[in-house]
Amino acid sequence: MNYGAVEVLRGVDLDVQRGEIFTLLGPNGAGKTTTIEILEGFRHRSSGEVSVLGLDPERSTEAWRSKLGVVLQAWRDHNRWGTRQLLAHMSEFFDNPHDPDELLDAIGLTAQAGQRVGRLSGGQRRRLDVALGIIGRPELLFLDEPTTGFDPEARQEFHRLITKLATAEGMTVLLTTHDLAEAEKLAHRTAILVDGQVAVCGTPSELAEAVNTQSHVLWLEDGREQVLTTSDPSQVAWELHQRFDGPVPGLTIRRPSLEESYLNLIGRTS
Amino acid sequence: MNLKILRIGVRRGWAEHTHLLKDRKELITSMIGTVGVFAGLILWVGDTPVEGANVNAATFMTAGFLAFTVFGAGLMTFPMALTTDREEGTLLRLRTIPGGIPAYLVGRATTLMCQIVVQSVLILATGVIVGGVTLPHDWLTLTWVLLLGTLAVVPLGAAIGSLLPGPKTAAGILIFPLMGLMITSGVMLPMTYMPEIVHSIAQVFPLYWQGLGLRSAFLPDSTLAVEIGKSWRLPQVAGVLTAWAVVGMLIAPWLIRRVTRRESGSRLTERQLAAQSS
Repeated sequence: MNYGAVEVLRGVDLDVQRGEIFTLLGPNGAGKTTTIEILEGFRHRSSGEVSVLGLDPERSTEAWRSKLGVVLQAWRDHNRWGTRQLLAHMSEFFDNPHDPDELLDAIGLTAQAGQRVGRLSGGQRRRLDVALGIIGRPELLFLDEPTTGFDPEARQEFHRLITKLATAEGMTVLLTTHDLAEAEKLAHRTAILVDGQVAVCGTPSELAEAVNTQSHVLWLEDGREQVLTTSDPSQVAWELHQRFDGPVPGLTIRRPSLEESYLNLIGRTS
Repeated sequence: MNLKILRIGVRRGWAEHTHLLKDRKELITSMIGTVGVFAGLILWVGDTPVEGANVNAATFMTAGFLAFTVFGAGLMTFPMALTTDREEGTLLRLRTIPGGIPAYLVGRATTLMCQIVVQSVLILATGVIVGGVTLPHDWLTLTWVLLLGTLAVVPLGAAIGSLLPGPKTAAGILIFPLMGLMITSGVMLPMTYMPEIVHSIAQVFPLYWQGLGLRSAFLPDSTLAVEIGKSWRLPQVAGVLTAWAVVGMLIAPWLIRRVTRRESGSRLTERQLAAQSS
């Protein structure tokens, strides 16, 4: 994928299964938004093969469009419309839409039904964007950095909403984020994108394993704390037990957290 | 385009229109903008007779302002709304929805028609009440000239709107050429007051022809003395306005498609960041 003179993506190989919540995780500038925009059919790619719901996004049809839901980062549109009014208007385009009132209830905006969209708070606005994204019962929902600028409470509420909707609808969700905790919490599988390439892809535990950062083994010997860095902590512990011929005083094995692995990975590749 | 999209579009346009009516700031600007200036001008020079024609300035200007209402709505309000919708992500959101862009265009056209009707009625009422203007004698001509004049400028407005860089600069770019056209097109002052060269230029643009058609509906034939060729030239009015409508309709859809295709979430973010930092 060339974007102007700069190559943004090279070799992003991903397979997302139906019904799965999949996150694209990576630092800013890693190519997350470019990837998602190619999948949405909003951006032209210079090479490679892409198939979304069985169709190349660049040859999109209206029928294909109606099966997608898109939630972008920077929408400020329809500010003069009423919240419920906008939801009802957008539902008219689809053959089998959600009931606007039920959806308002699901996103917790029933009290704001008559309020102007421009008067909603940031978090309320994002939830409305999600509702607008799923009003047509899409098979696949794209969420681009949905929780940027959220406080922790709003973020948690948002995560609950996405999980609930995905489970209830059997919808496939593809979301981008630069927040590891978010990916860990929401996603069935995550691909870490660094410098336009998929560095690792898998379930949270697979990720930790794949990154395979060195573990620290600590114990007490000669009245001092000893540290050994190894990729095989179990082997080191076994050798220590043999050497001590019994329990090892103060034995601790410190495995890196997923966050440490992630930061390590970003640092390692860039 | 199917009937469903047409229906959604018309309802969308009506909703947008009612939002504008509820917005006090918007309402006052559009009222004072055109109707206020018109009322002021009538009070100031309305009684002055137009030299060479046996009508007063108020009557002449009522026809002129009607023409300019359509012209301003199509070539100023509409393109500016289009750039705002692009900037705020309205176009992009509708692009993510099947049939969204056609419905958007129907909606915009509907809002514009509503606006033109409201302003035309206000101008006419102001002319009659404030200026003592007699109502037009030829309602049929008035109606078809207004309709055809709208069709002549709306696609053109869409084309302009898709070329403008952004809503903040739009007004500044548009206002001077439009003012220039307004002055040279004979809608405020009789054409024969202007030098020959202005005649040739003005007759290229739709505003002159629309103004001429509207004057034919308002003014007695005795004012023909101040018109080019001493005739209302209605066949030419219809011909030129139709030509503009056709040319506009050929270019506009292509330009709008180009603009909406260029839009994406990251472009929207880039522009909003740029707008915040400037």
